[in-house]
Order: sequence, then structure tokens, then C-alpha cells
Amino acid sequence: MRTLEFQHPPITSKFEIFSILAFAIGFSFFLLELISEVHKTGVFVIGISVFFQVLSTIFILDNYEVKEVLRNNLLGLHVISALLGYAGFTVSAVYGILFTIMYKQIKRNKFGKIFVQLPSLELLEKLSFYSVIIGFLLLTFAISIGIIWLPQAFSDFTYLDPKLISTTIVWLIFGTGILTKLVGNWYGKKVIKFFLIGYALTILSMFLANVILPSFHSFY
Amino acid sequence: MNFIGISLTHKTASIEVREALHLSKEESSELILRLKENIFSSGFVLSTCNRTEIFGFPKDGKFDFQPVLKTLLDFKHVENLKPENFVKYFSCSAVKHIFKVASGIDSLIIGDSQILGQTKDAFQLSEDLEFTDSVTKRIFDTSIKVGKLSIRETLIGEGAVTISFAAVQVVGKIFSSLENKSALVIGAGETGELAATHLRDKGIQRLSIANRTFDRAEKLAKKLNANVIEFDKLKDKLNEFDIVFSATSAEGFILEYDDIKLNMKKRKGQPICLMDIALPRDINSKASQLDNVFYHDIDSLNIIVNQNLQKRQSEIPKVEKIILSEMISFFSWYNTLDIVPTIKAIREFFEEIGNDELEKIKYKLSSDGFEKVEDMTHRLLGRLLHNPTMRLRQIAEKGTDPNEVASMSVLVKELFDLNSESHEKETK
Repeated sequence: MRTLEFQHPPITSKFEIFSILAFAIGFSFFLLELISEVHKTGVFVIGISVFFQVLSTIFILDNYEVKEVLRNNLLGLHVISALLGYAGFTVSAVYGILFTIMYKQIKRNKFGKIFVQLPSLELLEKLSFYSVIIGFLLLTFAISIGIIWLPQAFSDFTYLDPKLISTTIVWLIFGTGILTKLVGNWYGKKVIKFFLIGYALTILSMFLANVILPSFHSFY
Repeated sequence: MNFIGISLTHKTASIEVREALHLSKEESSELILRLKENIFSSGFVLSTCNRTEIFGFPKDGKFDFQPVLKTLLDFKHVENLKPENFVKYFSCSAVKHIFKVASGIDSLIIGDSQILGQTKDAFQLSEDLEFTDSVTKRIFDTSIKVGKLSIRETLIGEGAVTISFAAVQVVGKIFSSLENKSALVIGAGETGELAATHLRDKGIQRLSIANRTFDRAEKLAKKLNANVIEFDKLKDKLNEFDIVFSATSAEGFILEYDDIKLNMKKRKGQPICLMDIALPRDINSKASQLDNVFYHDIDSLNIIVNQNLQKRQSEIPKVEKIILSEMISFFSWYNTLDIVPTIKAIREFFEEIGNDELEKIKYKLSSDGFEKVEDMTHRLLGRLLHNPTMRLRQIAEKGTDPNEVASMSVLVKELFDLNSESHEKETK
């Protein structure tokens, strides 16, 4: 709706991004529920979605200058697919955490509410893995657009940009994770641990790249 | 209501006595024929490994339990069986007891899923042997309704309450579906068989049985359409299975920590469920320290069983509420039965007067004239009786207020002095 109203993709401020992120997480979860017919984990995932949307709703502004470069639709596609990719990783992390909790419950003979309510370990692992794959594909797409289009759009473009490097690291981590599962036949706890650590590194590198280091990639 | 019954259950008798008294279907049929001949006009016999119940309406209408007991004991001689082993019920308490049995709250394992089916079978047997009437049929129907309502509207039958079923429940929380999994059951005894049956019911794709005595394994495997694995080759083939149930009576461990560790290497870390439901245990519990090894023994599975039993226990008040409401509706219906003879009596009373009077004038009139008077009399009686009959029927069919029915019935009988009338007839 903001896209229609203000004539630019909804990627021009932190809070528009939050809104998309909320939407993306909600949407990817919706897809997963459709595929997997699991209906009891929604509250965890939607919780994150709601968090971002609330932030966005509180702080979002309606009128401000939008830089010319941010009005580009190709950039919109790039940012949205990257965000959807990260949303996929976030959903995966949520399932990863649920897996870890359930794993510990079963190992420690705790058969309480969590044990009764959560789906099986195998399914949680599968859901986590599917969301990683979806996230990985979307991120690959975002990177491809970026590499083709960015050098033309920015004069100060450099391959050593912190955000580029951090994204590449994230891409490599999850790529390796997917490979170990598919080729190396990793199972259960090991894969989940890998993805969870991967997600923590992702957040960390995004934080470093966006907040601490200067980059042509920063717009807000 | 002269409905009586005797009941022997896990609460009143030892397992030996219960087992000895257990009546097969054929025995039950024969006992019913004897009861039908001498004691009850209608009723039923329910016998399972945990209870034997005999209920019915005595022909002589007396609350006398002795003949029932005697018939049973003459029929089946059981040592150490004492009269104290039987609880006696009559009237309202008898009906309530049957409802409780059907609902599963009177069972050894609360909410037992089998008892409703067994009760149904017992009722069916009575029907087949024409040992029923409208009241017993109503008791049967309502009992089954109580049982179904309890299952549907409460959690009395929820959750695993046996070790092997609890184990299957845990397996269900590790693997999403058993359809593409393979399972091995070690030990072809009673526990092993139960576990294997549960796995089959849950749709396990590949099921194998191993037993020290090969023949027994083969027998069970045949029954469950499973494969047999030689006991000595167990460890070599362990890596082929995602789920292992062990229920042997062996002393010492069959599978050591190192066996499992090696197995996990062969499986490349693929998760495995080890359910040690044997006592003493078959698998070294140290195996649970390994990643992706889910080891559970009787103690840990008992946690689930006890939790579920507690949950079921807390559902009993809800079931009792169902029983109470069905008791009320049953006895409301039962009390309205009084009205049927009343309606019949009042109609007979009027018709008799009509016929009497017609008889008196029969020869004083021409046949044509008599016919007209006869028609008029019947029409008159019909119109006079129409409203009272309809009202009484309505009250009976509504069946909501037994007091209204009873007082109406008494009033009608008093007004027309119907009691002595019908009594006279009966004695004639």
C-alpha cells in the first residue's frame, strides 16, 4: 500500500524494512504450514513477525525525502528477496530452537506440555531445513541481482564492501550446511546446531556490517 | 424397580479368582439359559478377565441375590471364591453400576478402551438369546450411549497408559511417521508381542522379530507379518533399524554401550530409538549419552503412564456428570412406563361399561336401531376418551417430570377405582 501511495518500493526506511520482514516471516511461515500441515508452532514464528511489525508501526513516517537510487524497482526486488531470504533463515532458527528444546525434553525424560504440544523431532528438523533452503535460494537470487546491477548503479562500488562480505559469509555458511545435510548425510542435532550457529553468525555479521562499518550499502 | 445384580471385580477379588471365574462366550450363553429358566425374566452376563457381572429382573420381583449366586456357583466351580467377593446391587445403584462399567471408570485401568466393546458383546448375547425386554434394552442402549459420550466428550480414554504404548507414543515424537521406518522387537514374549502389535497398528513399514528361541520368534513374526532375525546376528544387523524395542527376560545386557556406539557410526548418526521395556534391562543405559540416540527404559516410560493415568483420574467427575444426566433421563423414562397400563385400564373400563349397557338394550331394539345405538355408543366413548388419552400419552412421551406422570396416574386410577378393577381381572 505504501508502494502505491508513495511511488517507490517499500524499502526506503528501516521501518518499512521491518514491515517487509514481518510480512516475509509471516508469509514464509504460512507457506510452511501449507506444505507441512503443522499447526502448533505458529505462535513462536508469528511472535517474531508481530515484533517487527509493531516496531515498524510505531516508528514509521509518511513524508520524507526518498533518494533517487531507492526508487529503482530492480533494487526493490534485490532488497525484498534478500529480506525474504533472511526471513527464511529466521523461521529456520525458530524451528531449530524448538528442535533443541524438544530434543532435550525427550533426552531428559520430561514429558510435559512441550512434549505433548510440539510435533516430532523429525518434522521440526525437516521444517527447519526447508526454510533454510528457501532462504538460501532467495538470498542467492538477491546476490545475483546485486552483482549484476550494483556496479552500474554506484560509482563507489567495491567488492570489499562489508555488507557484501558479510552476506557472502552468510551465503557460504548456509550453503555448507545444506551440502553437509544433502551430501554428508548429517542428521538431527548436528545439522540443527550448524544452522543455529550459522544464524547467530548471520545476525552478528549483519549487525557489524550495517551498524558499525561504513558502506555505500547504507542508506538510512 | 426390581433390577438386581452381582459383580465380582478387581476391587473385590484376586486375579486368580477373577481368571478362574471368567466365562467364555459359550459358558455365558449356557448360564443365561439357566438364569432365564429359573431366575430372571431378562438381563445380561458380562465376563472379562477383570470382572464378572450378572444382572437381571427377577421373575418373582424379589430382591433376592442368593439364587443368582447359587446358579453361578453351581455352573462354575471356583476354589477360594467367597460370597464377600461379590458386590450386590439393586434398582438405581444397579443401573448406575452398569453405566460406570460401560464408561470405563470402574476398570482396573481407568478409561480402558476395551470394556465398552465387551459390554456391547454381552448385551448382544442377551438379545440373541431373547433374554431382553423393553427396559433391559433401554438399559443397554443408555449404557452404550454413556460409554460413547465419555470417550467423545471427556479425556477419559486419552494418552498411553501401558508401558509399550507409552513407548510407541515417544517414538511418535521422534519420527514424524512410521511408514518409512523399520523396527526390531527383541523378545517374543507377551510384552514383546504387545509392542510389536502397537508398532504394526501405527503403520510401521518393516518389522523384524528376534528371540533367543528361534521358533517363538518365527511364530510371532508369522502372526504379525514380520521378518525374523537370528539372535546371534542381532548386533550386526542393528544398524538397519530406526526403532528397537527390547523385552526379553535375559539377565544382563544384550546390547552394550560399545555396540550402540558402533551402530551409530554405521548409521552415520541417523537417529535411533531404543526402548528398553524389559526388567531387568536389556540395553546399557549409558547409550543415552550418545547424540541422536533416544534411550528410554521402564522407569522413564512410567513417567508418561503415570501422567496419563492422573489426567484420566481427573476426568472422572466429568464422566460421572454424564452418568448422572443419563440416569435422570433413564429413570424419567422408566417412571413414565406407569402411564401405559393406566391408559389401557381406563379404556377397558369405559368400553366394558359401554358393552354392558349395549347388552341390556340389545333385545329391546330392532337390529337396525341397535346398530345405530351401538355406533353412537362407540363414537361417544371415543370422543369422551380422546382428550384424557391424548393428555396422558403426551405426558408419558415428554417424560420430563416423573412426578407429574406418577401423580396423574394415581389420580386417574383413584377416580375410576382402576386398581381393584385390574386386580380383579388378574385374579380372574
